[in-house]
Amino acid sequence: MRKIFKQKRIKTGHFLDGGIESVINIFLVLIIIVCSFKAFNWILFVADWTVVTKNLHLYALGSYPREYQWRPLTWLLLLFSTILLTLFKNKSKLVRRFIYCIWIILIPAGIILHSGGIGLAPVQTRYWGGLSLTILLTICSAAFALPIGILLALGRQSDMFLVRNPCKLYVELVRAIPLIAVLFFGQLLIPLFLPVDIELNRVLRAIIAFTLFSAAYVAEDIRSGLQSIPKTQKEAAQALGLSNIHVMQFIVLPQALRIALPALTNQAIGLLQNTSLMAILGLVELLGITRSLLANPEFIGRYLEAYIWIGFVYWFTCTAMALISNRLEKDLSPDKSDRINL
Amino acid sequence: MKLRIHSNKRLLIQLLVLLTIISFLGVVLNNLVINLIRTGMGISFNWLIHPTGFELSEHAIEYSPSDNYVKVLLIGWLNSLKVIIVSLVFATILGLIAGSARIGKNIFLSQVSSAYVAIVRQIPLLLQLFFWYFIGFLNLSESGFAPLGSIIELSNQGINLLGVKLSAEFSAVVLGLTIFTGASIAEIIRGGLKSVSKGQWEAFRSLGIQESIGLRVIIIPQALPAILPALTSQYLNLAKNSTLAIAVGYADLYAVSDTVITQTGRAIEGFTLLLLIFLSFNLIISIFMGMVNKLAIDKNIK
Repeated sequence: MRKIFKQKRIKTGHFLDGGIESVINIFLVLIIIVCSFKAFNWILFVADWTVVTKNLHLYALGSYPREYQWRPLTWLLLLFSTILLTLFKNKSKLVRRFIYCIWIILIPAGIILHSGGIGLAPVQTRYWGGLSLTILLTICSAAFALPIGILLALGRQSDMFLVRNPCKLYVELVRAIPLIAVLFFGQLLIPLFLPVDIELNRVLRAIIAFTLFSAAYVAEDIRSGLQSIPKTQKEAAQALGLSNIHVMQFIVLPQALRIALPALTNQAIGLLQNTSLMAILGLVELLGITRSLLANPEFIGRYLEAYIWIGFVYWFTCTAMALISNRLEKDLSPDKSDRINL
Repeated sequence: MKLRIHSNKRLLIQLLVLLTIISFLGVVLNNLVINLIRTGMGISFNWLIHPTGFELSEHAIEYSPSDNYVKVLLIGWLNSLKVIIVSLVFATILGLIAGSARIGKNIFLSQVSSAYVAIVRQIPLLLQLFFWYFIGFLNLSESGFAPLGSIIELSNQGINLLGVKLSAEFSAVVLGLTIFTGASIAEIIRGGLKSVSKGQWEAFRSLGIQESIGLRVIIIPQALPAILPALTSQYLNLAKNSTLAIAVGYADLYAVSDTVITQTGRAIEGFTLLLLIFLSFNLIISIFMGMVNKLAIDKNIK
């Protein structure tokens, strides 16, 4: 029965039914054909891609000293293989437990591999750049923002006056401020609030600012996750004799986090996109390095090629993140029917 | 007895939190005072009435470099307000069109709309602003071209719409914000319309009610409760994102504050002022959307 309806729908067609609609459709098709023809023509014959092909290492690593470039590269490779390992999870428990450890190790490893120390030659932050800096900023800020956000969300749910209100004040205040103001705060004002003899480098200050900003948004996402857990869950656990902390740890929080996962991924994608703001504030991450390349007389005026290229890089990275999160969501879903077996 | 132990524990936790916050603030403020004494800056707002001495390319009211900082901040505020209102209107229109195209009957239009959302939402806004500014406007020739005769003329100086001149910076920011926010609004509209159960559509169609009337009377009133709160937060996002105008050199509130801070060296005061003034945009949008919400609900009840 349904099949018949479907066939009928296609036959009578939405494509050519009304007069106006068919005109719109034909018009649209024409526009798209002309546009894609022009675009292909431009990509293949008109565009001068030397601004991309000559500078791939700059887009990837910025002006990181050549002799040490293996360090950020190693880190990127490590990161990439960890993602793959997480996606194609082994059945064995050992590997699973191992993965969490790797993820936690990745963050200090990234910072050490970039900055040096423990036997590695130090490299100043002004040489960090490109995609590796973009990803470093994103991952470090996300890793710090998540626990802080969870604490803020739990604090906001608390019935204790002096715990709830400071958390609420912080979250609402930060969410009212534009990100660029927070980053500006991080670059110009954080040094004023630190003791005279402590100096944080630019990247660290940026990470602090991104963390302070994202934590408030993460807290809101987790709070809505917490609110969607029915009260009976908590009551049932309490009836079984679990302490308040254990109820949170084993019953409420895991469910809330799972529900908040899509929103949290969106935050992570937003964070990656937002790291581009550091281009205005003096870091040469992916967008920053592109701008400095375009200021180079050799590539002057090659805006279109460069912007399309990094637009593609951003788009690809963000879309990949969204797809990975979809997969994780399905993996974590308690409903076995939509769990994917590999 | 157990209750007392419990309440004592609660009191202890709260005191601990309070103590942590106070000591943190104490340390931070102490550092600030030390740093301010060290640099000899102190905190003062006297500089606000001094002449600025810098030019602004765009000002809604009379301005000269001999005017004071209060006035320059006011101009920044007005410029921001202009960008926010114009982008808000256009983004809403674009979002409405794209969102309804997405769930509309025309498969072709819905594909185009979903491609638009998928591309725009995964590319940073800042990059999009650069794109529209450097490629959309600065690439045009000086003489410009007029696709619709004398109604609209585009050139690297900006847009000339029926004699009203809009600068390239302003146009690029509005275009970028519109296209970026429009994609998010399209998602909200789609989600809202989809939240109305299919039975409602089928019911009014089977009653022979016209599509446009059914949409207006049956579907939209039911979709609004899901749409309006999300729309409000998108508008707030738009206001926050408008501060990226500094990237293309448009003199909005943030850009002006940035220049003021660089020039006077008054980072703490300038930053505080920026935040306080910026909150006015949030307030305006919240009040406006509160009114819209009330109107929508009142109409629904009737």
